[in-house]
Amino acid sequence: MSRDQSFSGGRKYSNDEITVYWKPSACIHASYCYRELLEVFDPGRRPWVDMKGASTEKIIETVNMCPTEALTWKWNEEAKNQPVGSDQSNHIRFRRPELLAQDANAPEENPVTIKIMNDGPIVLKGDFSLAYSGINKDFREAIVSICRCGASEHQPFCDGQHRKIGFIG
Amino acid sequence: MEETKSGKSKTIIEVIDSGPLKITGNIVLKDFKRDKEIPMGEVLLCRCGKSSDKPFCDGSHKNK
Ligand code: SF4
Ligand code: FES
Ligand code: FES
Repeated sequence: MSRDQSFSGGRKYSNDEITVYWKPSACIHASYCYRELLEVFDPGRRPWVDMKGASTEKIIETVNMCPTEALTWKWNEEAKNQPVGSDQSNHIRFRRPELLAQDANAPEENPVTIKIMNDGPIVLKGDFSLAYSGINKDFREAIVSICRCGASEHQPFCDGQHRKIGFIG
Repeated sequence: MEETKSGKSKTIIEVIDSGPLKITGNIVLKDFKRDKEIPMGEVLLCRCGKSSDKPFCDGSHKNK
């Protein structure tokens, strides 16, 4: 069964085992999802996610590749949703008010992760300071994509041009 | 794994004009293509698309 429902901030799609959440505001159109699995993620279709298009395993694999938090997933069976290490950020993280307070006095900075996307941008994630064109900005729990193909019109950030120019690398 | 914690770790990322991305700090670089995780202190990542050692900068950005 495939359902298309909204949740605050986006839409969610379920099959019998898992639910995939999509937050359009976080999507940088890095196109990972539909390049990998067009049977499920097809931007030209409404609804654009078809949970019948592939196996649960394949869907999870693809959702985990999304460089942003735009695509996340969860088991429908709540008990199965164990935290699996800090890097599994693609499991949707609920932030209840009491947890937000805990976050605020967390002493450690988030480790910074740098992902090199195939034929796409550099995705920076965590707490860092970024200096560009004379600006120096502090980021916290951020996700920023830096253009690697040289063609972005919004340097230094990725704006999806890598796909248009067919960047390989 | 080495533990070189001197108080608060700070990652500094610098976009070098017409050059690479310079990252200094406590880093784990994940390269999906080569399926590798590389911990390092400083790295220069190519932003021009011309390096033959991607994702790293090899100085090719200087060739017009
Ligand atoms: S992979 Fe993630 S960021 Fe990229 S298009 Fe799909 S949802 Fe958007
Ligand atoms: S890598 Fe995305 S626009 Fe250059
Ligand atoms: S930025 Fe130095 S080789 Fe591309």
